[in-house]
Amino acid sequence: MFNFPILSLLIWLPILVGLFLVISNNLSNKLSEYLTLIITFLVLLLSLSLTNNYDQSLSQLQFIERIEWISGLNIFYYLAADGISVSLILLTAFINFLIAIYASSETYKNKSAYLGYFLILEGLLMGTFTAFDSILFYIFFESLLIPLFLIIGIWGGENRKYATIKFFLYTLFGSVLMLISIIYLSTLAGSFAIRDFYSLNLSFEEELFILLAFLIGFGIKIPMWPVHTWLPDAHVEAPTSGSVILASVLLKVGGYGMIRFMLPITTEAGIFLSEYMIYLSLIAIIYISFVAYAQTDMKKLIAYSSVAHMGFVTLGIFLVFHLLGNNLNAAVIGLEGAIIQMISHGLISAALFFCIGIIYKHSKSRLLKDNYGVVTFMPLFSFLMLFFLMANSGLPGTSGFVGEFLVITSALGSNIIIGFLAATSLLLSASYSLKLGKNVLFGENTQNIQGYRECAINEKFVLGVLVIFILYLGLTPDYLFKIIDHTTINLIDSINLGRT
Amino acid sequence: MIFNLLFIPEIILSIGVMIIIVIDLFLQSYKGITFKFIQLLLLLSGYYSINGQVSSIYQSYELSEFLNVIKFILLFGSFIIFHYTYKHLKYLNNLKIEYFTISILGLIGTMIMISANSMLMLYLGIELLSLSLYALIGFNKNSSLSSEAAIKYYVLGAMSSGILLFGISLIYGFTGSIIYTDIAEVINAIEMNSVEYLGIIFGIVFITASLCFKFGAAPFHMWVPDIYQGSLVSTTTLLSTLPKIAVFIVFLKLYYIPFISMKSMWSDILLFVGMLSIVIGSIFALTQTNIKRLLAYSAISNIGFIILALGLVSNEGIQASLYYTIVYSLTALASFGIITHITCNSHGIEKISDLSGLSQTHPYYAILILITMLSSAGIPPMIGFHAKLIVITALIDSSYIILSVIVVIMTVISAYYYLKIIKTIYFDSREELISVYSNGSLILSLNSISLLILGIFPYYLFDLSSYLMSLLFAISI
Repeated sequence: MFNFPILSLLIWLPILVGLFLVISNNLSNKLSEYLTLIITFLVLLLSLSLTNNYDQSLSQLQFIERIEWISGLNIFYYLAADGISVSLILLTAFINFLIAIYASSETYKNKSAYLGYFLILEGLLMGTFTAFDSILFYIFFESLLIPLFLIIGIWGGENRKYATIKFFLYTLFGSVLMLISIIYLSTLAGSFAIRDFYSLNLSFEEELFILLAFLIGFGIKIPMWPVHTWLPDAHVEAPTSGSVILASVLLKVGGYGMIRFMLPITTEAGIFLSEYMIYLSLIAIIYISFVAYAQTDMKKLIAYSSVAHMGFVTLGIFLVFHLLGNNLNAAVIGLEGAIIQMISHGLISAALFFCIGIIYKHSKSRLLKDNYGVVTFMPLFSFLMLFFLMANSGLPGTSGFVGEFLVITSALGSNIIIGFLAATSLLLSASYSLKLGKNVLFGENTQNIQGYRECAINEKFVLGVLVIFILYLGLTPDYLFKIIDHTTINLIDSINLGRT
Repeated sequence: MIFNLLFIPEIILSIGVMIIIVIDLFLQSYKGITFKFIQLLLLLSGYYSINGQVSSIYQSYELSEFLNVIKFILLFGSFIIFHYTYKHLKYLNNLKIEYFTISILGLIGTMIMISANSMLMLYLGIELLSLSLYALIGFNKNSSLSSEAAIKYYVLGAMSSGILLFGISLIYGFTGSIIYTDIAEVINAIEMNSVEYLGIIFGIVFITASLCFKFGAAPFHMWVPDIYQGSLVSTTTLLSTLPKIAVFIVFLKLYYIPFISMKSMWSDILLFVGMLSIVIGSIFALTQTNIKRLLAYSAISNIGFIILALGLVSNEGIQASLYYTIVYSLTALASFGIITHITCNSHGIEKISDLSGLSQTHPYYAILILITMLSSAGIPPMIGFHAKLIVITALIDSSYIILSVIVVIMTVISAYYYLKIIKTIYFDSREELISVYSNGSLILSLNSISLLILGIFPYYLFDLSSYLMSLLFAISI
């Protein structure tokens, strides 16, 4: 019914235009901004039409494109989409569109290359979310590092060289172990298609090693608690849009990979280790919240808050392991909570990093002590930022509440202590979010040495749209539910069937 | 029959070289024209290598379709290298046609090596190659490093040739033949643990040691960084491609034709040498500040991948090593090619820091280096990733899981120094005066960008390696 290769277009249109922008050096700033805006808008329209054409009542893959790529190795150019892919594609297209609108607020040397790298990144993200051949997935997954590496390294802050190399090596290390498990699985399955891995009969030891490799690979990307240390460095040094895309979309790649690979392939080992992995997530939620509270740098604070919020995503995923077999409904709720938390954190963290970018533009400092009393000079902005901080702390009515609520519900379904510990996050995230709000927005400032000015029209637009969507998802999360519902239920059912 | 043999690329090159030496005497002030003759000569022999004949001369010299393709690759590689070299030497005001004639003699040496079907012919080829390399390495007479490198390579090379001869004589002594196929038959019939068996093992070990020296594989790698650093960049380009391809084919032929029945013996040796090369190449490169030394260690670790795949004794392994060799040669050509094009303070690039801030002055070249370095580091979507992928797949197919884990961890370590180069180019600010003496060289651009294009469409090279594999089994045993 729908033979148009829309997924390929979503991937290659931004990449090709991005390459053009990177190579053409003398393109004027205005022209490259408009070009980026047009392309991201087109991609947004395409992904909206993808969502409309996506048949929510079916649980199987849709929009399949499958061409032989490397025949000798049985590797296919295999793109498809299910509910999880579609929701993340929407998020990617939306955030990139906002970045393109925000672009005129940023002044950088060689702006066409800067925007070009963002377009390439957008295309690669689309590829990561739609690749159903594991090698193709890996290629997109790894290639993501290159544009982000350059964005942070070229346009980043003072300590950028250290941060970029740390970030690159950290994630590379995680992913090469994953590559080995993918190749190992393919030698057993005789194909690289991810779906073919699901039906393999692995021994427990094999599953355990593969699970660990995936856990390291995706855990670094998310990032999970002991391997999160690259993220604050990368965020602090990244330019505003770089932080936005990193927090709102790139971190989701890890969660997406866990759902796609870990849950169905290594179920038995996952059940065996689920308790420990849940502890890791709880440490991320609680301990990292305290760390976030202690930060003096606004960006670091939000970066640590990202780690804590992503803890909910991993908690939701690992709860599935824990609940399989005894409480399937709670497992579905946990997984849906994790996905919704991904989308919602994508919106909220993007909004907060935009806000910090706007403050930084005036005061040239990210430190809490250098920024105070913003409300006097930027009342509208302060209102919006306060709203985002509230959403960050999971205020009911905002999207931040829905995901956390679902994950906590699912946790209560397995163990009341896990549920209780996860719920403390609502208190902890409120405390660091309010600390940020209290100091930066409501501190006493009569002199305005920072030179705060109310934000420009495009910044208002970006923040306003984000407010609308955060509220929309918070009040009627149905739209998102419908997209992911059948996919998650089907996933959990097939995992459960595979066990018995 | 004899007349036909005039048209094999080796003969064409040999006659052509002599003519060019004479032409050069008369056209001293028109070196450009003589260089055109050289390019023409390469094209001509390239033509006769793809349309080459298939025969064997007295059992000791083999002309087969497989080798014709490899010869074409060698000629193609030298065409690109000569292109880079000509510009480089011209810029350095050191343009001498002798450089090219000596290089062509070395090229003939590589062809004899791969065509050899007898141990003595192999030795002749290796010596012809080595002799021309001694001269090329010492070509830069003004530099003490260059002379040091030449003497070092000469002394060590002579010793390794001695070891090779010793190994050959052991094999000859215990099997009574120097022809590959005859040796294979004799070894196949020998009992385990007899005296002859032991003697042949000694012979194989000596030959392996010597060939590993020529290959630049650990633990016989000590000469590589010094020689790479001392010689001109153009010589380094040649050193890091042509001899490697030739020695690889020699490895392939020797181990899979005469020594195939001893595979349980040499497979472990090759696996060990391969792993050691990867580890040493990756770790020792970390502290290098000289870009040529760094690329030398990178070459060692790449060679390690090739030897490792060869040591697997499986079809996948052979194909992986073929694929890796082609990819490695392309990457090495690109990375050294770019370095020949860039100068800093009007001398060649030596330190990594000489490249700092290149992206601000020459963004186009910066992108080329970016592609090349990412490909060397094995980051997708560059072709280097596919090469490493295929080797690791072959490793896992033969169930060497632990080895593959070590290999990928070494890949991460080696990614650090490639990133360091990218960091210098993109993130550091400019201090020295960098200039590029040829704006937008077409061949260089094609060479580097092909690493990305072939990475997105990897099946072309994959088909080439499958085709070579099919030819290979048509000729061997």
